[in-house]
Amino acid sequence: MIYKWKRLGENSLFLAPSVILTLTLGIYPLIWMLRYMFYDYAGYGEALFTGLDNFSRLLRDTLFWESVRNTFVFAGGKLLLTLPLSLLLAVILNGRLRGSNLLRGIYFMPTVISTAVISVVFYNIFNSYNGMVNTVLMKLHLVSQPVDWLGPKHAMLTVILVAVWGAVGNYMLLFLAGLQSIPQDLYESASIDGANAGRRFWNITLPMLAPVAQMVIMLAIIASLKGYESIMVITEGGPIGKTEVMYLYLYKLLFPVSTGSPVTQQLGYGSAVGFATAVIVGAVTGLYFFFSRKMNKVY
Amino acid sequence: MSIKGVERMQKKWLGLSLSLMLAAGIAGCGGNGNNNKSGGAAEGTPGAATASPTASAAAETGEPVQLKYWTDDRHDQEYIKELVNKFNETNGENIQVELTVMSENYAQSVDIAFTSNQAPDILRLKSGNTPEFVKKGYLAPIDGYLTDEIKTKFGSLLIDGVNRFDGKVYSLANTGLTLRLIYNKDLFDKAGIANPPASLQEMVDDAKKITETGKSEGVYGFALNFKSPKSAFDRSMREILSLSGYQGLGFDLETGQFDFAPYSQVIEYFKQMYEDGSILPGAETLDIDPLRAQFAAGKIGMYLSFSTEPGVYQDQFPTEINWAGTLAPTLDGQIKGTSEIVSAGTWLGISAKSAHQDAAWKFMQYMYGDDILKTYHEKGFGIAVVPSIVEQAKNPEIGGMEGFLVGEHDSLWPAVPNVTPEGSTYADAFFKYMLSGGDAKAIAADLNTRYNDALSKAVEKGEVTVTPDPAFDPMKPQGE
Amino acid sequence: MNESVISKQPGGRPQTVDRTPGTAGRIVTRTVMWLFLLATAVLTLFPLLMTLTGSLKTGAEMMTGGTLFPAKLQFNNYAEAWKQANFARYTWNSAFMSVMVTVGTLLVASMAAYVVDRRDFPGKRIYVTVQASMMFISVGAIVLRPQFDLMVALHLNTTLWGVILILVSAHSSTFFMLQGFFKAIPRELDEAAMVDGSGFIRTFFRIILPLLTPGLGVAGLFAFRHAWNEYILPLVFTMTNPKLQTLTVGLANLRYGSSAAMQIHLMMAGACLSILPMLLAYILANKTFIQVTAGSVKG
Repeated sequence: MIYKWKRLGENSLFLAPSVILTLTLGIYPLIWMLRYMFYDYAGYGEALFTGLDNFSRLLRDTLFWESVRNTFVFAGGKLLLTLPLSLLLAVILNGRLRGSNLLRGIYFMPTVISTAVISVVFYNIFNSYNGMVNTVLMKLHLVSQPVDWLGPKHAMLTVILVAVWGAVGNYMLLFLAGLQSIPQDLYESASIDGANAGRRFWNITLPMLAPVAQMVIMLAIIASLKGYESIMVITEGGPIGKTEVMYLYLYKLLFPVSTGSPVTQQLGYGSAVGFATAVIVGAVTGLYFFFSRKMNKVY
Repeated sequence: MSIKGVERMQKKWLGLSLSLMLAAGIAGCGGNGNNNKSGGAAEGTPGAATASPTASAAAETGEPVQLKYWTDDRHDQEYIKELVNKFNETNGENIQVELTVMSENYAQSVDIAFTSNQAPDILRLKSGNTPEFVKKGYLAPIDGYLTDEIKTKFGSLLIDGVNRFDGKVYSLANTGLTLRLIYNKDLFDKAGIANPPASLQEMVDDAKKITETGKSEGVYGFALNFKSPKSAFDRSMREILSLSGYQGLGFDLETGQFDFAPYSQVIEYFKQMYEDGSILPGAETLDIDPLRAQFAAGKIGMYLSFSTEPGVYQDQFPTEINWAGTLAPTLDGQIKGTSEIVSAGTWLGISAKSAHQDAAWKFMQYMYGDDILKTYHEKGFGIAVVPSIVEQAKNPEIGGMEGFLVGEHDSLWPAVPNVTPEGSTYADAFFKYMLSGGDAKAIAADLNTRYNDALSKAVEKGEVTVTPDPAFDPMKPQGE
Repeated sequence: MNESVISKQPGGRPQTVDRTPGTAGRIVTRTVMWLFLLATAVLTLFPLLMTLTGSLKTGAEMMTGGTLFPAKLQFNNYAEAWKQANFARYTWNSAFMSVMVTVGTLLVASMAAYVVDRRDFPGKRIYVTVQASMMFISVGAIVLRPQFDLMVALHLNTTLWGVILILVSAHSSTFFMLQGFFKAIPRELDEAAMVDGSGFIRTFFRIILPLLTPGLGVAGLFAFRHAWNEYILPLVFTMTNPKLQTLTVGLANLRYGSSAAMQIHLMMAGACLSILPMLLAYILANKTFIQVTAGSVKG
């Protein structure tokens, strides 16, 4: 009996910090949000219970739905560029290649750097009147006029490129990990059977990589839906809302980014938006789960 | 990783998916069960905040009285630091003022400070944030401190809704900022234009000419810091409108309602410049400082901004170009109103939560002394509006300042209510129109609806009061 | 990869005496591959190079733009950034915060992971589920307000401890990573130690934890990287207290000069300063970092 109590005490002692922190700083804020999404609350004074008002406002809030659409464009663009590129790099670097360690290091470098900091740099090199990107492109005679990288037409492309720059190294590494865990003898026996490299890639590499890839893609989806730091620094969601993603929209409801006269904090409405974004991200991940598991059964 | 590894992986995968579903459930249940608890914690906070200023008796025990002074002004910080140091050494009552220069998000910072028991004792107030601060109960009225002498000195500048609310005074005037069209004389000469534009149509034409002449060298006629459309329009539209006879932030003082119809007239000209390609490429995401750098480099024909610009070109962006500030153009070339002197009625205020309000006033009194106000103007940090100071002070010796001095066409305007509408702000909506077109009338009508809705809600809550002034005269905005 | 080319190009011109038939094709593919690798490397390094050269230019040079290299190397920028622009303080704040977050996260997560891996207790499943879900639920910036309120109640909002606690509270990914590492340590070790009379706590700190060093190193590096690069949390928490700003916040703030001009050259110097520690840590730990990053996804 004493032994049992002692064990329980030890367990509690070891778990307590984690449990307490998770409850107070992880779960409590969620509950707070679930409460205040039914209130009109400006962050000071009294909160006014307004029932579902925030949600009806959410439904007619075109700015929010535009930001949702932008989020999908941004995340989609980032994934479509990042995943193939990082897989390709991983496959190449997985071969015995001179200097692959150095290259790996180079590709991985962006991931150790603060997004906020490097985004400030990107703002400077992408601007259209004196940015380095245009200078180089014009010197190489690839374009004759400066490209308005941060203008309404290209801003989304630009923030996607910046995001891809920051992400490729990370996913390359994760793919590499998956590739290296594929047993070499599988390839050897396939070679003996006369399978060429293309077939080996389709028949061995891809299926063996699938479990890792599934998780990597999952991480990538969540990360790309969530990311807004670099957009916040580069364009602040502009111009004319072209790069406004939903988490940035939410952030701006709470903390207006630019200087100017004060804007009242909208914590009640912000809670409703926070809830909606969580549901949207949850739905996307859920769908991805569903389909990737279906795919599993096919194999 | 062997086949076994793969299986383990998949199992883990499955586990994660399961936990995701579960988590959604848990979060959902917790929300209902713990409502009261979370409410309690949230309401407990203000209590914690009020508990602490009780430690106020420090002054009597010989310890220095510490005052925190917050500002978001950076252009004058060296001078203000000097003044603060001097005060700390000479006040004779052991008062120590600590100046903190806040970065962007000043209003947010103040909000956070007041909800978290870190409120400063003395705050820099601007006419844009003062009503909000008063509304939230951050400020202490200073009526009790006002002597007759002070009342005569500042009396003509006590304005309801600017520094006086419900009959109580919260701040006093010092300087204001005028707004002007700033233009590069060299580029105007080169394009064969004799005078800066008086009407918006001329501005559009001039911008086009300058661009045509200089485009090959990367010179464009016009630019604004459109990265923040509100910041860009509030330094341009605002003056164009007030000089044309309309309130500059879309408020109709006669009816006490928002009316963006005049705004939508002015935006047409901006749109025209954009379509002509007369605006610096990349202006859509331009910050004010890169804009100044480009102007200093002679790449921009004109823009509109505050009277802080001459100082900037003297210190931060020394420039070879010949430039000047002049009155903003108007809708039809006729001056039918007065150019609004902004941020003029307020300078410093005292926190309602300060434990040392008397000491804070002592500092305020020092700062509002004739010498300091005079020097502040002469150094070009702002343009004096206090009549007795205007009489004494010399004009600042900063190149380009001539064009910014208060003249017959400048005056203070009444305050307008600050509301937060649902959806996009007027600046975002009009900027969108400028870039991508649409129906200007419909946009103005939509803005009117949303802003007036927000206004009537705020009035209902008692957050703002609005008194229509049917006899309002834009040529004499403060009456006579 | 290379072999694939050989089999695809059986008709390589037999003009060489090489024994493989597809030499020409092989050279072409190799060239294409290397061009791709190098181009990617150049694009990856370009912004970093721009930061470096930018940090050695004058402010005017930066503003006017158009040149790649500084006319004259302005090493003075670094001294100026360090002293005038307060980077000494920012760096100290960042270092303090990141070290504390790293230590805290490792301690909290390793204790919890140890108990969860070695013992059974009621509620274990729920605990693990909640930890997993914390990685997936994302409601954005709205949680900042309740977290901030909590810190005010605890009087931790005027120091960086508030930020530290919040960052430590997000330890679920570290938890899962370390749990994987604990699995690899045989249970017999614990048992042997216990038989020798070592108590639970002593066994953990004296015997098991030292064995976990490589895992702790990598998890720690991740935690450190995360804390060092964190932007939004310290941004919001230090709004009222500029003295507590971290490097990321101080840097990004430099891009606005409310009324004064911004100083991009100092910003670039600061960016280099902020990148340096992470880069060093990364170069020193390059091999383990990549290997174990890889290891962490293998599950």
